[in-house]
Amino acid sequence: MEGDLKTFIIPNDLCRRTGLAASWTPINQMSVFAYEKRNVRQKDGPSNFASSQPSSVFLLRQHVLLFQPILRKLVNESNGAFLNLQGVISDKTLDHKSELLKLSRQYRSIVRACLEDLQDDITKVEGEDKETLQDYITIFYSIECIWHLCEILFVDTIPGNIVLPLLLDWVRFHFPKHERNAANMLSGDLIGLEANPEFWPTVIGSLLQGRVKVVRALLKQHSASDSHVFRLVDQILKAMPVYNVFSGTSVSEFNIQWRHWTVDVQSKIDAKMFVTSPNLNLIMRLVVGEETAWTEIQSHCETWYELLAAWLFYTEPTVKIFEVGQFAKHCITKMRMRNNMKHLDRVLLAAMEFDVLQVIKEIQHMSENGWFVTHLTDLLYHAGKLSNLEKEVETFSAEKLHESFLLDYGSLLMGHKSLWQVGLSYLDFCPTEGLKAIELILPRIPLETEAKTQKILREAKNRELVHVAQSICKVQGMKSLKRGRLGNALTWALKSQDGPFTSFLADKFLHEYTKDGKLASTDLLDNLGSCMLASDRLIFLGKYYEFHKLYQSGEYKEAANLLVSLLASKIIPNYFWYVLFIEAIPLLESEEIVFSSNDTYTIIHCLEEKEDLPELKDKIEILRLAAARNLSRALTYEAQLV
Amino acid sequence: MFEAQEINAEHKDLIHDVAYDYYGDRMATCSSDQYVKVWDHNKDGKWTETSSFKAHSGSVWKVTWAHPEFGQVLATCSFDRTAAVWEEIVGDTPGPGERGTRHWVRRTNLVDSRTSVTDIKFGPKIQGLQLATCSAEGIIRIYEAPDVMNLSQWTLQHEVQCKLACSCLSWNPSLSKMQPQMLAVGSDDANPANGGKVFIYEYSENTRRWTKLETISSITEPVNDISFAPNLGRSFHLLAVATKDVRILHLTPVEDVQSIQSGLTKLEVESVAQFEDHNSTVWRVCWNITGTILATSGDDGCVRMFKMNYIKSWKPVAVLKGDGSHVTSEPQKTAQAIPSGLQMPPLSQTARYFKLGSISQPRDVPWH
Amino acid sequence: MSHNLHGTFVSQKVNKIRWRPDSFNNSHFFITGSWDDDQNTIKLWDFQENEEDDDIYPFLVATHNHNGDVTEAKFLNPDYLLASSSFGSARLIKIENKYNEISLKDEITWDHLHYFNNKECSPCNSFALYENDIVTVGEDGRINLLTAQSKLIVRRIDEADSCSLQCVIFLKHNEILTSNLRGQMKIWDLRSKEKTAINTFMLSGDHVTPTCLTFHPTQRHLIIAGDDLGSLTTWDLRHNTYPVNVLNAHEGSISEIQFHPDNPDQLFSCSSAGEIWHWSTKGKAGITMEDSNIWLAPDNIKNKLEVFTLMPNLGKPINSLDLNRNRIICGCDNEAIYLINGITLYN
Repeated sequence: MEGDLKTFIIPNDLCRRTGLAASWTPINQMSVFAYEKRNVRQKDGPSNFASSQPSSVFLLRQHVLLFQPILRKLVNESNGAFLNLQGVISDKTLDHKSELLKLSRQYRSIVRACLEDLQDDITKVEGEDKETLQDYITIFYSIECIWHLCEILFVDTIPGNIVLPLLLDWVRFHFPKHERNAANMLSGDLIGLEANPEFWPTVIGSLLQGRVKVVRALLKQHSASDSHVFRLVDQILKAMPVYNVFSGTSVSEFNIQWRHWTVDVQSKIDAKMFVTSPNLNLIMRLVVGEETAWTEIQSHCETWYELLAAWLFYTEPTVKIFEVGQFAKHCITKMRMRNNMKHLDRVLLAAMEFDVLQVIKEIQHMSENGWFVTHLTDLLYHAGKLSNLEKEVETFSAEKLHESFLLDYGSLLMGHKSLWQVGLSYLDFCPTEGLKAIELILPRIPLETEAKTQKILREAKNRELVHVAQSICKVQGMKSLKRGRLGNALTWALKSQDGPFTSFLADKFLHEYTKDGKLASTDLLDNLGSCMLASDRLIFLGKYYEFHKLYQSGEYKEAANLLVSLLASKIIPNYFWYVLFIEAIPLLESEEIVFSSNDTYTIIHCLEEKEDLPELKDKIEILRLAAARNLSRALTYEAQLV
Repeated sequence: MFEAQEINAEHKDLIHDVAYDYYGDRMATCSSDQYVKVWDHNKDGKWTETSSFKAHSGSVWKVTWAHPEFGQVLATCSFDRTAAVWEEIVGDTPGPGERGTRHWVRRTNLVDSRTSVTDIKFGPKIQGLQLATCSAEGIIRIYEAPDVMNLSQWTLQHEVQCKLACSCLSWNPSLSKMQPQMLAVGSDDANPANGGKVFIYEYSENTRRWTKLETISSITEPVNDISFAPNLGRSFHLLAVATKDVRILHLTPVEDVQSIQSGLTKLEVESVAQFEDHNSTVWRVCWNITGTILATSGDDGCVRMFKMNYIKSWKPVAVLKGDGSHVTSEPQKTAQAIPSGLQMPPLSQTARYFKLGSISQPRDVPWH
Repeated sequence: MSHNLHGTFVSQKVNKIRWRPDSFNNSHFFITGSWDDDQNTIKLWDFQENEEDDDIYPFLVATHNHNGDVTEAKFLNPDYLLASSSFGSARLIKIENKYNEISLKDEITWDHLHYFNNKECSPCNSFALYENDIVTVGEDGRINLLTAQSKLIVRRIDEADSCSLQCVIFLKHNEILTSNLRGQMKIWDLRSKEKTAINTFMLSGDHVTPTCLTFHPTQRHLIIAGDDLGSLTTWDLRHNTYPVNVLNAHEGSISEIQFHPDNPDQLFSCSSAGEIWHWSTKGKAGITMEDSNIWLAPDNIKNKLEVFTLMPNLGKPINSLDLNRNRIICGCDNEAIYLINGITLYN
């Protein structure tokens, strides 16, 4: 499938002249720009292209069909089916085969619903849009057609391997023209029906689809239906043996009956009993499988598989499922299609030849997004159809193939603004590389609002990607900081469990206080609770705020105690010492003695240690004096108690 | 299959590098016109220039973003022998000579090099805030900001002498905290007699030094670009090299007596792909986010993309080429063009993407 | 307890879904507000019954573009809808019926209600309605008072909270309750000129984020908060030092809770894990305790409540729900909306 490599044109002359360079964006886009390698050893100066033409950056992304609004439903609906499938597989109590068949049908009905929407919409638009919708219709029609055949050949259980009835169903479903016409004709004016130009084509068409009863019903409406030849044909058709696997007849018995019937009809043809009506003669020649007759009606078939099903019905009614492939090739040759097989034809042929790998390869190239190949491969993988190949084809690993599609499709969706959650659910089912891919991609989703951030965080936590969650919290904290929302930044810093960052923010609070004399975000500091313990600086901030509150509410003794314990702790930032000292002064000088002598010793001791602090220069004498005075008062008071 | 949006970059000369921030919401471009421009895309998807400043006194070769955990931070390196770290400041109006609504401030100038600084990359954030530069004089320098909240303070932690002139470097992005850090460095020395041009270095905790693990002797042509891929849980490291062709290497750590004793990793080097599709010198290599697609650009004027399929073999998947004859004056088609039968909003505010035309070509592209 | 379920895929993630009030209390119109899309919209739908296949499907009546995510949407009355955006604005939208064509028109737009000091816009996270009065809260920690009759902002409280404000409800006409990212609940007296709350309390000891607030239809001092760990906390604001009870409920964070407007002893909740539940006091009507509300009963509340799952677990977040008689609609992140018909309401 190497085939032709597509070259995409960047419509820019500068790019043509200089060459291109590329740079990926997270997540799935790429930018391309005009580039010329400069040799670092050259003299540095403007290049030959300076100022001559504006340079542009081209931002490229894949044009994904599925992201069109009208097709987007498909993505979510099929994701639902996909998840159901995974659920079914993991449930050992269920009958997998029948569940998988149900799910395959569900997928197909989702595609058909999509086709209906497209059919609806195409009536409402014009011009280019109409063409585009028509393209989509063609694509999805092919998808449904291929899926249906794959379902018959690979997922469904076919009793006795007699596949023809299902094949016929498949053809009838996809070529409904004849059924419609027949229904119209039979429900309308019935006299002289043959005057209708569609009459004989519908009769032949219905015959080719094995609708013998309809053929008989139509022929009965022919004005000459009472004539001998018509009645003879009717009898013959009535007597035609049709194989039914549940009838109890064995294949060989049936073949004998069939042979008898065919011989009988042939003899009647040879006896020229139908020559009066060329059409009826043709019909009879068809039902006995006469080559020339079949060549004549080839033009009634739009495709080789129409011809195939028809021809098999009348020549190999008990054909086994694995024999279909060779007959398919025969029909293709007959219709001279060998050299102009379209994509769809190739896929269908590969399916009939049971070449699952070829089917998958062909489907991969059907569209630029992996929707079809991913879901179908997933279905076939769980139906066990891929593991057989491992024995036949060297280096083939069903798991790896399956996973590679899921990985690509999941990654593609993760680059979409809205569908990233759907993408995650596919990556979840990649056993070896999924979690790592999520680890790489999930944190790249832009954190536009806190609401979205919460959702992304939840996804990270659900998968135990703790460091991803913490990183996201840190980034949110930095964003809040940039917006001047210190309280919010601290909240996020605490969630990220980043000690240094928390300390940094606590410092900011304290610095602001030293500048403005006001503590910001007091509502936050009111209820720090146990998360204070995240960093020493934060503990200090919390405790200092407590001190403040005690002081404001007049509880001087408690405030003093707290102050002393703070002084004795090791967590006071250097730049804050003088604040504490200064705030100690009124307490030292208060009427009521709030510092015990021990307390005062502590204060004096700290003062000695920190006397070199520049901010204290003017205040140090006052402090020493206040401390000394308090000491004497305290000592005096304590002496009394003894 | 591809659609594109054109952003007029307004540099007065060719752009040397385009780098996106962690989320793809901001873009930085640098050019031979010595300027760095920063772009933001608004809520409707349109990109506008929000800052433009003269970063150096010579061509600016590379620009790169730090992880958003460190704030809005850029690093640049230039022909003028310096590298610089920049931070976006909130609230100030732009200074004189600067355009735009945001304000970027130079936090530090790294002037240790005596020659052009050819590449600059931030280290993986798991190790704090580190920066590596390499220069034409063959020295790799590792800097660190000990206090990540203070970007003005950077210390030069290590200087590693590489025998040959260095053109590019790449940190291994996927190592855990337990594993020693790894750097790949490429040299564009033109003399094959000087040996291999790709060097793998590792930081040894034992010796507290960066030590060379490996010289990849199979690559003797000048190396222009080098890049480690993000790791999806593989047991080997994936390295792409831009040289006379595109090379993809597997570096597999092996355990043997020697490596356990020395404390240094032993690597088994295997070349898994070599592509001559450019049929000429390859200038740049760049990995996508999951390390599954490699984009390369070469002297044939094309950008080529290579993908690894499920059986781990690499194949080219697409080619991009510039061609002025296809220029249309108006974008032909917009991405959101499918109506649902009801009124659609006017599209002038939103970003307009147009489909790229394509041609199918046989695998060999003629030399031109 | 049989009910039937109808799902429709709408190609956008639905953040808010609301029945349009109907004069006979038999709503069939509803609106959806989307989020996280390149172009978000508010859409008006009508449920139509198809007799042929016994299917009910919503029919799209009108679409209205919305800049940013639809963070909250509520009807003031059958013809007017208020919607807020993640770009910090709010709009009063009129449902107009001209020549039998229904359309949505902007009546009043309030821009820049919420913004940060560095001029970035901030999401308006939620709003509450009381008759024509509107209160909005945002990530910028700001509270705005508006009225549906005027474009002017009546009052603005800057820096009302140092953290992002996420939810707001009216307790009385002049009293509101807000909650922030850290789980701090504040009661504000709107008549006061102060910029601080009259009362503050924490949702819980740990910093759990409340994700939705609602009050009991007949006893407004009874507040229930859902949080991001999936618990329901009940408060009696007459004594608000500690919660009355805490129920560990959902797997995911609780997106919305609503008491049934006609049967206020029944509660409905939905979560980010894709669950949608119906809470009811156990069938037997005899157990109306005295005249106090079951939700106020301190312990043993678990024994007195029955919880029904209304829909198989969706696996993706259900963001919003709304009730009308015995029908409930919900909007989800799998870009679909669901109608659940025939809910049994225990009287």
